[in-house]
Amino acid sequence: MVHISDGILSLPVLAAGWAITIALLAVALWWSKKKGNLEEEIPKLSVMTAAFFVASLIHIPVGPTSAHFILNGLVGVILGIFAFPAIFIGVVLQAVLFQHGGITTIGINTVNMGIPALIAGGIFKAGCGGILSNRNEISAGIFGALVGGLAVVLTVIFTAVALIATSKEAFFEIAIALTIAHIPIIVIEAIVTGSIVVFLLKVKPELIGSI
Amino acid sequence: MVNYPEIDRYSALDSPMHRFDPRAKIIAFLILIFAVVLLPDLKLAFIGFIGAVLFLIASKLPLRFALQHIKWVFLFVVPFIVIMPFTVDGTEIFSFYGLTMTYEGLEYGILVAVRAISAVILVLPMIATTRFDITIKALDRLKMPNMLVQMFMFTYRYIFVFVVEFQRTWRAMVARGFKLKTSLYALKTIGKALGMLFVRSYERGDRVYQALRSRGYTGSPRTLVEFQMHASDYIWAILIIGFAVSLYVIPFAGVS
Repeated sequence: MVHISDGILSLPVLAAGWAITIALLAVALWWSKKKGNLEEEIPKLSVMTAAFFVASLIHIPVGPTSAHFILNGLVGVILGIFAFPAIFIGVVLQAVLFQHGGITTIGINTVNMGIPALIAGGIFKAGCGGILSNRNEISAGIFGALVGGLAVVLTVIFTAVALIATSKEAFFEIAIALTIAHIPIIVIEAIVTGSIVVFLLKVKPELIGSI
Repeated sequence: MVNYPEIDRYSALDSPMHRFDPRAKIIAFLILIFAVVLLPDLKLAFIGFIGAVLFLIASKLPLRFALQHIKWVFLFVVPFIVIMPFTVDGTEIFSFYGLTMTYEGLEYGILVAVRAISAVILVLPMIATTRFDITIKALDRLKMPNMLVQMFMFTYRYIFVFVVEFQRTWRAMVARGFKLKTSLYALKTIGKALGMLFVRSYERGDRVYQALRSRGYTGSPRTLVEFQMHASDYIWAILIIGFAVSLYVIPFAGVS
């Protein structure tokens, strides 16, 4: 539900979304070129992106309805700055393959999910030093859950802001309804992200510490 | 549990939209989608909607397939139609128990829904009439940055691999008695299954890179598809873009 469809947002909001997305994609591209090994990075990054995409196709029952994973916090934790191009690819593919979200809203949807991913990744990186070195699973799980939940909270806030920026008078109540509807999803994402972080710490610690 | 992307399932049919050059098709329909999405007026939005349906008919895609792909957008626009008539101020239609339904709110809600549905309908003749790998190659010819084109190619390819892989994991979990519920235990277990998916994909990424390297991969894609514009491609492109422009010219011409 956090992918906004076509036909809802105003031109300034859509344009701002595209501008920020293109600028951040350019930064990620520049960054990867500076690091040098682009031809090595692309296949690895794409394979991970595909895995995240498949994870986002899984539907989880939430009371009477169902929701699907976003996992943008985890994308940020694992891919670092490359989370942004990965989420861009995911948003485009969701829009063209499944018609979730819209074509004109690719920019703003990438911003809404990608920037929280970068923030979550940054916080995790800043706070994870001690956790990763002494492999404290409980604190890693709690920290992972907080970061995973935070990413969805930010995504919902960004989405609400995009709606309100289009028309405060018309969309305010809808933005509130959208936010309330996402509370269970925030909890689910937090639990699942925490559980994935604990699992990766045991099985493949370089995945969450290396990038 | 998870499904394959099947957007290009009917890309082998024959219709004017299928024969339309993918590059021109993407550009023309993108312009039309942006035009329809920003229409300010309900009458014009309905004209855009009718145009979208006509292009869908021209693509000869089966109705069932089209509806399957269009239905998701309803989930998103229904709240707009239901909530907005009661929250936007304006001329009252009727009121009960303090809830007032307004004409303006209803009109705005319907406008949002018509624009959203028209845009989704237009995605189908644009994307579903070409094999998706050829669409990506068309994006390459349209000068999309190389890194993104390659990410699209690899990601699209490996989505199918991981769908199969996750389905296998899922079957194994269910065979051992796992039931999907909204419980802490179930969510933690799904987390572990997903964690395994990421570990596998991480290791696979390494192998994919090694395999590509050994075949001479240097980071730039080579494609065997050549595109060529014919007279009919120009005619369709002009028709679609002309329709997009006319949606904005009509109100000034005083026709509507």
